[in-house]
Amino acid sequence: MSAMWYYVFTLVFFLFDYFILAMGLNIQYGETGILNFAYIGFVAVGAYVTGATSLPNAAGTGQQYILGWGLPFPLNLLLGGLAACLLAVFVALIALRRLRTDYLAVVLISVSLVLYDVINNYVPLFNGADGLYNVPEPFASVLKLTTNSFVPFFAALTGVVALLMWWVMSRITKSPLGRTLRAIRDDDGVAATLGKGVFRYQLTSMLIGSFYAGVGGGLIIQFGGSFNPTAWLPAETFVVFAVILVGGVGNNVGLLVGALLVETLLIHLPAFLPDIPGHPGLIEYIDTIVVGVLLMVMLWFRPQGVVPERVRRSPFSLATRSSKTLDDRAIIVPTNDGESTPVIQQETANG
Amino acid sequence: MAETTNGGATSPESVFALRCQELKKSFQGVMAVTGATFDVPQGMITALIGPNGAGKTTVVNILSGMMKSDSGHMQIGSTDVTNWESFKIARLGLMRTFQLSRELGGLTVLENLLVAPQHQSGESLLNIFFRPVLVKREERENTERALEILNTYGLYDLRDTRARELSGGQKKLLEIARGVMASPKILLLDEPMAGVNPALIDRIGGYILDLKAQGMTILMVEHNLNVVEKICDHVIVLAEGRTLATGRLSELRANQDVVQAYLGEVINASPTR
Repeated sequence: MSAMWYYVFTLVFFLFDYFILAMGLNIQYGETGILNFAYIGFVAVGAYVTGATSLPNAAGTGQQYILGWGLPFPLNLLLGGLAACLLAVFVALIALRRLRTDYLAVVLISVSLVLYDVINNYVPLFNGADGLYNVPEPFASVLKLTTNSFVPFFAALTGVVALLMWWVMSRITKSPLGRTLRAIRDDDGVAATLGKGVFRYQLTSMLIGSFYAGVGGGLIIQFGGSFNPTAWLPAETFVVFAVILVGGVGNNVGLLVGALLVETLLIHLPAFLPDIPGHPGLIEYIDTIVVGVLLMVMLWFRPQGVVPERVRRSPFSLATRSSKTLDDRAIIVPTNDGESTPVIQQETANG
Repeated sequence: MAETTNGGATSPESVFALRCQELKKSFQGVMAVTGATFDVPQGMITALIGPNGAGKTTVVNILSGMMKSDSGHMQIGSTDVTNWESFKIARLGLMRTFQLSRELGGLTVLENLLVAPQHQSGESLLNIFFRPVLVKREERENTERALEILNTYGLYDLRDTRARELSGGQKKLLEIARGVMASPKILLLDEPMAGVNPALIDRIGGYILDLKAQGMTILMVEHNLNVVEKICDHVIVLAEGRTLATGRLSELRANQDVVQAYLGEVINASPTR
């Protein structure tokens, strides 16, 4: 396989993977209104746990890490997703129940920083700043995949996972649960007065989104075979935010478009472009600036994103419009002395 | 029917849907509610009136669980719901609307109503994937009912419009329709006629009477005494955060305390219809 195809399939992998990550953040922020500025932390936990559960016991590997169960794909990936869910429960219990959106965002940034510092500095957990490496490539030995053939294979596998997760997410967002989440996003106070236990739904949203984050992270470590703290600097959260804001909050198709525009074309494609003469490596550093500018431009001129959230139209109409609308009849209001006086004049339908 | 009393509950023999006793609430030392005590008779339309700053909206916020009282008690039927969270109060059958409309702006008009029913099977993750037939059937029933209500309230043609795009009056109607969709036992209406044109005031008045005819208990904050006189069975007067008097409006007109605190200025200020 030529180098070009290797790059292309790498880009395809990141397209699908960030589509998964974007769906996870979208249900939290786009559907429920939870500003999860710690999102990349959930991705990292998923990546580390997926890696550490697929690696063998740490003894003799030259690395330090917990778990080391040598589990195969997709068990390790599921555990990565569930580990991110566990973190979500912890975060929700300390922050989600009592804090308003803006304060919650600040707390979540703090959570992200704490998580980063702990994993980066506490070596016995996930090998500290060196991170995990030599993570087994799924199915590589069974299918006798070489380094070159593994890349298109895993890109396709990620595509299948993304497709499955898109189907699941579509079912959720189109359901009454999705509608209730959007009601909470629009006004959690009103949702509560309609009998919705807001915390329960926010927690559900956090769990779903975190599972997606964990799986997305798990796929990253299995694709590259390694993962360390430079891959998930807290600011990386804003790249995922850029994906959903550029693509279109609350629209799964928009998320795929956002993943293509931001993650594939702006973040990863430039790394494969030839260097600017006299400025080696400059292109890779410019990409974050371009993403930042794009984000500002979108928020100014097209805040709804490239593919805006769709209006969910009524699935059917009334077979017959009832003739018993109140508008169509005079209303006789009894007065306090018991007599009846017509005080409301007859009106035509719809005023 | 309730009697005119000063600062207390309605007649002891009346069946109440909602009762509050000595509710108090202060904001950083400023007393907003200093002792609200009243009963809301079951199956009737009760008006909560009083001058600006009397604490009416604060009382409604406490009753709906959106604020916690500093002291006092609140009861729905025989259940003590003092300082319950609002979603639990709603599940007991108390719904509310807001003085400044709080529509769910990103949702369509129809979706605003579809959010309202309690305990929808499609709100559970497990049901979505393992009981899809039940979810679909229930959703269809809810949609049919919501469309009927929208038709009744003259909002049917706007069913696929995002709620934030409605006019002020339409938003008022939507809030009432949303409350009705939840099939409440008690509906709190916070100034439902505020900022709407006279024709729409008449329509809203008609809808409220229709809800009463269906057996619903209504408590409405209202400044328009013509409306109060025409559709309300019972009136509670709040002044300076406490219950000044309760009874029929015609009886309260004879109460000097009430006239001095509120009615005098309103009657003098408002044109006769």
